[in-house]
Amino acid sequence: MQDFFDIQTWHPLTVHFPIAFLSLSGLLSIYLVFKYHKAIAQFNLGLLFLGVITALVSLYTGDMEDGKVSRTLCDPTVLKDHENFAYYTVYAFSACLVLWSIKLFTSFIKFKKLIISLILILNLAGLAGLVYVGHLGATLVYEQAAGVEVPDKDCSGF
Amino acid sequence: MKSFIIKSLSVLSLVLFISCGQSTDVVESGTYTGTVIEVEADKSEIYVKTEDGKTLELYFIEETKLTQNGQEVPFSNLKKDQSVEVEVEKVGKRLDPLSVKIQ
Repeated sequence: MQDFFDIQTWHPLTVHFPIAFLSLSGLLSIYLVFKYHKAIAQFNLGLLFLGVITALVSLYTGDMEDGKVSRTLCDPTVLKDHENFAYYTVYAFSACLVLWSIKLFTSFIKFKKLIISLILILNLAGLAGLVYVGHLGATLVYEQAAGVEVPDKDCSGF
Repeated sequence: MKSFIIKSLSVLSLVLFISCGQSTDVVESGTYTGTVIEVEADKSEIYVKTEDGKTLELYFIEETKLTQNGQEVPFSNLKKDQSVEVEVEKVGKRLDPLSVKIQ
């Protein structure tokens, strides 16, 4: 059985937290742009905060694994795109976190429309990035067996 | 509202388009000269910008020979902005560096 403390298991372990938090937060943010409720917005801010923090952890665990996995891939450019788009996604949601914080805790009434517009744009970008990063990650595993130990055909190791 | 959605999607498309331009390049097997633009010592990895503007991401493998003035040298001798000549083998779309000469 795979050792829990083997760093190869950490990226697939950590990556699902930001997927859950950020996708839910992204959808809630879009809802809030059109129908604002302060209580939901505060809950959403918590989700977004957890999403960004766990995404940063995932970037770190992904970077640790990158050095090992890249040498075994037949097309490391997919991994590079996976990494780049993960960064862009985190940038987009981090900016959303800042903008939601401004909206909830300050009174920049003058820029209200601009802040809401930016939140919507960055959310759409973040959600699109999240889906694409996930797709690239799945492609790496299913097409190139990234970080996967393939068992013998006769399952002799089990 | 319609124009706002169109503007939002345009900005989104622009962001994604710009994002797509950040990737590294794949070249045929051969020898290339260029400049080291990044060294990641903990991964034994370098990025080389070739004379024709391509960016090669090279992960050192066991067979990689790193030399300077004809002598084999450790990875720590590689620094950013050094000129290098690299011999790469294309395996699939992966570039395995066979030799790296610091010039």
